[in-house]
This record gives sequence, C-alpha cells and structure tokens, in this order.
Amino acid sequence: MNLSKVFTKTAISTPERQQEADADLVVVRQVQAGDVAAFDRLIVKYRERVFGVVYNLVSNREDAADLAQDTFIKAFKAINRFQGGCSFFTWLYKIAVNTTLSHLRKNKMRTFFSLEKINEEGGNAQIIDHLTDKRGADRDTYLHELQEKLNEAMQKLSIPHRTVITLFEIDGLSHSEIAEVMDCSEGTVRSRLHYAKQFLQGELGKYLSS
Amino acid sequence: MSKPEQNSKVTLEDLLRLKRTEKPAPEFWVNFEQELRQKQLTALVQKRRWWHEVPVLLNRRLYMPAGAAAIVAFTLVTVRYSTPTQMAQLVNTAPQIAAADPAVETLATTVVAGLDLEQSRHDMQTAPVAQAAVPVPVTQVASVDDREASPLPAQSELQSPPARSLIANLARLEQTEPDLANTVIGSRLSSPARVHTAAMSQSELAPVAHAAPSKYRLIARYVDRALSPEPSAPASIRERLARRLGEDLGDEISRIGVVGDRVSLKF
Repeated sequence: MNLSKVFTKTAISTPERQQEADADLVVVRQVQAGDVAAFDRLIVKYRERVFGVVYNLVSNREDAADLAQDTFIKAFKAINRFQGGCSFFTWLYKIAVNTTLSHLRKNKMRTFFSLEKINEEGGNAQIIDHLTDKRGADRDTYLHELQEKLNEAMQKLSIPHRTVITLFEIDGLSHSEIAEVMDCSEGTVRSRLHYAKQFLQGELGKYLSS
Repeated sequence: MSKPEQNSKVTLEDLLRLKRTEKPAPEFWVNFEQELRQKQLTALVQKRRWWHEVPVLLNRRLYMPAGAAAIVAFTLVTVRYSTPTQMAQLVNTAPQIAAADPAVETLATTVVAGLDLEQSRHDMQTAPVAQAAVPVPVTQVASVDDREASPLPAQSELQSPPARSLIANLARLEQTEPDLANTVIGSRLSSPARVHTAAMSQSELAPVAHAAPSKYRLIARYVDRALSPEPSAPASIRERLARRLGEDLGDEISRIGVVGDRVSLKF
C-alpha cells in the first residue's frame, strides 16, 4: 500500500515530514492491530516535541509535564479512531494543543513561571553572546532576565496568538500544518502570526537591534 | 543590567529561537515515563461512563442504523399523536362554534365529552370524507334510527364523532344522489329518515356559515359544495351555449355536400 496516498487532507511540507508520517503510520497500524508496546516508540519519539509545545504555551514545567502525559494518554485511548487522514504528528499536536488550551482556559488567572534552563549549545551561544556582551559575570543573570521577559511577553499574548507563534517560530510547523492543528484557515494563521510578532517586538524592543 | 545598545543584529526570531533550547534534563524523562505509566494504568482501571462510549459506538459505522431508528421512531410518534393533536385543536375552538350557534354540536365538543379517540381515529381512517365535514349537527344525527342507519354499534351516543359525521354526510349524499348512493354504499343506507335528517342538517349549516368564524364558514361551504347536486348554469348561459352549439352544427352540415354518388367536403 502506498502510504503517501493516504495523506490527502494535510499538505505535508517537506519530504522528510512525509517519510516521517509514513513511518508513523506503520507504527500506528501496529498499535491498532493490538501491539500496544509499539505505542511506546511513538512516545519516545514525540515526547520532547509535545512537551516543548505545551511548555511554550504554559511556561510552567510541571503543568507541561502533566499536560504532555495527558496528551499521550488521550492519543492512546483514541488511537483506533485515527484513520490516517492527516499525519500522526499533526494529530498528536492537535490533541496536545487542545488539551493545553482547555487547561489554560480553566486556569486563566493562575499563571506562574517554572522555567527550564536555556541550553547554550550550538548556534544559541552566538546569540547569547551578542545579548550578554560576552561578560561571564553578568551573563547568567542577564540570560535569566531575558528568559523571564520573553515568557512574560508570550503570556501577554492571547491564547490563539501564542499558539500560532509557538507552533511556527519555536516548533517549526508550516502555515498549513498550524491551520490544521488549530482548525482555522491559513489566512487566519498568517494574520495571527503577524499580529503576534508585532506585539512581541513592542514588548521586547529593548532586547532587539534597532 | 540590560545592554540593548550593545546588541546588534538580534531579531525577534533569534530571541524566540532561544526558547527552543529551554529543554529539561535527561533525568526528567525518567520521571516523566514513570508518571505516564501510572496514569495509563489508572486510565485503564477507571470505569468509563456510558456517555464516553457514545462516540465510540457512533464511530463503529452505526450512523445509518441509528439514523434509521430515529426516523422510524419519529414517524411512529408522529402517526401516534398527530390525529389527537388535530382533534385537540378542534377542542380549543369548540366554544366559538357553540357561541355561533348553540344548536350545532361540533366534533370538538363531542371530543370534550370524552369519547374514545382510538375509535375516532379508526373511523377517520376508514372514512376520510368525514374529516372534511367537520361541523355536523349531532342533534339531528341522533334522531336517526340508529339500528338502521349505522353499520357500526347501534347507540349514536357511543359512536365516535367522525362516524357520526360520516353518517350525516352519507345521508346527504343519498338525498342528492340516490342512485349513486345505492350503487356505492348499497341499500343499507337508503332510509327515508336519514334523508330527512341530512336535509335538515344542511339547512342548519346555513346559519353556521354566516355566524361562525371564517375557517368554519369555509368548511360549511365545502360541505355544501361537496354534497350538493351538480351545479346548473344560469338560464342565459344555457341559452347562449345552445345557440352556439346549433350554429356550429349547422356550419358543419353546410360544409358537407352530397351530389349523386359523391360526397364533397368544404374546408
């Protein structure tokens, strides 16, 4: 069976994503056939990404862990309903985003940060160097302040705008994938993205180059 | 503390990219998996409520049977309750008719008196004409010799309103079209008493047609129209038609000529 023909609904952005989706579908079919242990492979593969998207929406690591676990449990319960109309990755993201949005709506007033440490490996080091003027003494403090300001600005965004900018800028989803995850049009995604960026630029102006 | 003036070429995308690096330590995932296992077990042990099963059942291609069952149920309910509802409407309007002419007792008042609705529905199904003729003077029907008049049980008080209406209408039909009535219904209804009753009922409908609300006036007119003999054209129209027919016939004959053994036609 040509698995790529199954994905008629979602425009999968890259060939890598397509291959990934095909591989996921094989595993999903195994789970649907009764091989429950196969679901563990999906958990290991996607736990960081699911945790990441939830964490960037709630800015709290404990809540993010709970919500990510809930996402996997919901996905496991509903795995028989997954027909392959979209990629498993998009489907899982959709569950994660909906679970998180539901949590955020229930706990609108209760927002406090519990942040992960910024990893300075790779290309991030250059950005951090730029931002901290390469002075070791102030570096950690400045980085912590920047992280808090960034998360504060994100939390000031409305939930849909925050979701769009998280999925696009941090998780690297395409417009069409975000539209599918959020059940809206691509135009809406672009519009929300534009507004969210404008807002964040206003909030974080002093950290950005003029 | 902040040094924005020293930063060059830092964009919003760069800042947001920093958030990608906010990742938990590897030991976090050990704890994460343990908690996930516990939650999975809890979810398996938890008894599911019946409303959680509904989407699952619907997903098992039960849409069609469920839809069909809903339609059948709706149809049955509609058939079961539609006729009593119509009767109930008549009950509500009964006082208006009674006010218009106290001598006339409508179907609705009879329903109020508590007659059997099931029997009435059965009668209406067997005699749809009776449904059209709603206001029927029951007092007159009651005067008919029941043993002769009705193929149904003898006491007219126990007969359902549509049955009484049917009897009255049939009596009128017998009066206006005796031959037709004999052919269609048979000799059982050819009673002089019934003919008399029907004539009286028709005459009594006249005041109703004027005094009752327009809805009932229309019904009364409909009853008159349905059971009256064939309408006859006025004398002037009849005369004109006869003259026209004569002219046409004469014209047709004048076009035909017979000479010897030949027949000629003019067009």
